[in-house]
Amino acid sequence: MSHTQDTTNGPFAASDAATSPAPVDAAEAEQRRRAVRSRTGKARFAGFLEAYALLVLLGVIALFFCFWSETSSTFPTVANMRILLASQAVIGVISLGALLPLLCQEFDLSVGNIAGLSAIMVAASVSSNGSVLVAVALALAIGLVVGGANALIVTRLHVNGVITTLGMSTILAGIILQRTGGLAPASDIPQAMTNFGTGLVAGVPVIFITLLVIAAITYFVLNHTSLGRQIYAVGSNMEAAKLVGLRTDGLRAATFVVGALLCALGGLLYVSRAGGASPNVGVTFLLPAFAAAFLSAASVRPGRFNVWGTIIAVYFLAVLNNGLSLAGVEPYVNDYVNGGALIAGVALASVLYRRRTT
Amino acid sequence: MNEQTATEPTRAEQARKVALAVQGVSKTYGATRALDGVSLEVTTGAIHGLMGGNGSGKSTLIKMLAGVVTPDEGKLALKGDWIDARSHTPARAKAFGLHFVHQQNSTFPDLTVAENLALGRGFESTAVRSINWSAQKARARQVLDRFEIDVAADTHLVRLSPAAQMMVAIARALQDQDDTDERGVLVLDEPTASLPKHEVDVLLTALRRYAADGQTIIYVSHRLEEVTAITDEVTVLRNGNVASRLIGTEISHDTLVAGITGSTSGTHAGGSRRANDAIASRVHLSHAAGFRETALTLSRRTATGLEDETLLLRAGEIVGIAGLLGSGRSRLLKQIFGAVPRDDFEVTVRSGTVPPSDMRTAMKRGVAFVPENRLREAALPELSIAENLSITSLSEHSRAGWIRPSRERKAANRLIQEFGVRAPSTIAPLTALSGGNQQKVILARWLQRRPDVLLLDEPTQGVDIGARNEIHELVRAAASAGTAVLVVSSDFGELAALAQRAVVISGGEIVDSVGGPLTEDILNDIVYAQEKAL
Repeated sequence: MSHTQDTTNGPFAASDAATSPAPVDAAEAEQRRRAVRSRTGKARFAGFLEAYALLVLLGVIALFFCFWSETSSTFPTVANMRILLASQAVIGVISLGALLPLLCQEFDLSVGNIAGLSAIMVAASVSSNGSVLVAVALALAIGLVVGGANALIVTRLHVNGVITTLGMSTILAGIILQRTGGLAPASDIPQAMTNFGTGLVAGVPVIFITLLVIAAITYFVLNHTSLGRQIYAVGSNMEAAKLVGLRTDGLRAATFVVGALLCALGGLLYVSRAGGASPNVGVTFLLPAFAAAFLSAASVRPGRFNVWGTIIAVYFLAVLNNGLSLAGVEPYVNDYVNGGALIAGVALASVLYRRRTT
Repeated sequence: MNEQTATEPTRAEQARKVALAVQGVSKTYGATRALDGVSLEVTTGAIHGLMGGNGSGKSTLIKMLAGVVTPDEGKLALKGDWIDARSHTPARAKAFGLHFVHQQNSTFPDLTVAENLALGRGFESTAVRSINWSAQKARARQVLDRFEIDVAADTHLVRLSPAAQMMVAIARALQDQDDTDERGVLVLDEPTASLPKHEVDVLLTALRRYAADGQTIIYVSHRLEEVTAITDEVTVLRNGNVASRLIGTEISHDTLVAGITGSTSGTHAGGSRRANDAIASRVHLSHAAGFRETALTLSRRTATGLEDETLLLRAGEIVGIAGLLGSGRSRLLKQIFGAVPRDDFEVTVRSGTVPPSDMRTAMKRGVAFVPENRLREAALPELSIAENLSITSLSEHSRAGWIRPSRERKAANRLIQEFGVRAPSTIAPLTALSGGNQQKVILARWLQRRPDVLLLDEPTQGVDIGARNEIHELVRAAASAGTAVLVVSSDFGELAALAQRAVVISGGEIVDSVGGPLTEDILNDIVYAQEKAL
């Protein structure tokens, strides 16, 4: 009897409107709507500030360095801007790699060393056989294997993500050391690759454009596809996500794998820009990438980790550091500023989040 | 002063020491009178049972004793000193020697017995103020000896049986009482709710021993069998009033049920409707439901391979699951949906069988599940209302994996309109809504799928009375549109209001069934009758 029955409609469709409950009292609803409207008028500016505070701050700091006597001759130059945009593109891609697991409330502490290992292996590979294609395949393979291992350990063996990726990161550091003996390998990077890393299109570094393209794709997948929505749902409440039929383990695993792929891609971009790889580079990626991913919750979509917030955060930190370096401050000042900005930014995000939700 | 106090003059006259007395305590929440001039006397060294159905005022009274709830009026006496009950505080309860032990939450499973005992009162320390572990263990052993708990002090609590864990919790609460005259009162709130049968006996034996030793105990439970077995005196509450006071041999299954349900005949319906009759009543009901087709069948797999239908729901029917705390009522819903493993029954719906532990297939087959704990199991707090709604129907709102925002927004607007959700906008986060409106969103999330079967667990928990009625309307509307609804509620008034008939569950098994029209009293009656039968 059941197979002839139309299970999606059946007796429900027509009766729906008739059986809907008594609507909200009309006057009350109208009043509410009006209150909301007048509130939105006033709140729009505040809302904009809330969402783009970091971007505004970025502009203010940039302007400051343009006019500050210490940096006014060095900061606002085309050359410096290009260096800024290009040098941070690698960090940008890796921070997107850190962002993905973070959306599911998972930490991937191996992002830096995945990029580092990828850089080392890619540099060695292209130097020996000259094939860019092989290098790209190698980078993706590294991302796939390491990300897949992280994903399996976290979702199948139920090991805490921080511990898993900390262990993985340490193992990767060992592999890097073993491969390089702690020394930067002699590299012979093909022209095609370095051209990509240092080239310009309409005066803008190609590698920066690459970052924007990757960020745009990530943004669209996260915010405009069913997959992205499910990832956000898992991050919001894993138990609830399970009980609405989402494959929570698969989604978490996917963020680890795709995140690792992005990091490996970051390593590839690094080689193309720097013309080689050093064994220590992975370590230097980790903290800025995480800082940016965390800071993303302070802008664009306050209270939620998000793609454009991450990109803004990367450049916010970069401008700050670049300006200070140009002004000739001692290097330790940068550490103070980076650490302080991270804490202040995340504190801001948590305040914004609580304001939004209460 | 109060008419309640004079009801049992003969017993009050008897020479006995009263450990705790409450007189004329009232408490009103909004329009609900939770306690209405309740008086109570607990004899020193007795085990005093406190009983009552849901909404009887039992838990308000306990909270009042703990000093957590301030009553509107009333007096309170501990060790003979009367105070205004409104000035009672948790600190005062502690000073008076009122010790509360709740079912689970008070111990730390990952710590040792010695550590658990010490956390209540402070650790033994050495001269340099570090913890003196050997002194600590010695003291723990002393306490364990005193309470005759046969476990090692350095065992982790999680390794103990549930009954032993409960006894450690009790020992922790009582460890600092001096052995002599002025003992306090131990209040046990549903101590056996999560204990298996044989463990219950272990605990009850221990409690009898403590009482024989002079310990006064207030035993709060809904389990008739235990209360009849262990208590010396019982106070039964109903609708915020004292329904009956029983002493000694007066305490029996029938007198307790009469007190709890208010019905004079005690077991008028319960005993007669055993499982065999249940089938007859089901046949009768299915006849009444006319041509409506079967929406859900639960079949038990028996040893011979034959299957026996234990539950059958027809389209458009609302059926309640009545059971006491710990009866497995929530678990049954989760088992049907596949959220927890199911052992020995099969679930069939209109579009096929629902496999165990496969929620996605269950959803595809037209089963919907609104869990009990909204915050923990249903809400996606940071996500918007529209996103919370569409999460069960993403494929409806997307093409080739791409979500179409306009469709999603339109559907969300339609749903909040249809379900009467009071929301500033569909893009506001879910947490911007009140509890009742959040619950409507969760309900709408599932009903938009037009499920054949809706599993509802405590649909109006923590929801105000207005929203509660609206949610009931929504459930009825869904049923009249053809959805079969299976609803669990600890509030039998809610079951009576919503469901046309009910099944009774105990120990994870469906043990009885009740035809309509349901009332709160009939449900109380039958559920408590079941307690005796086991």
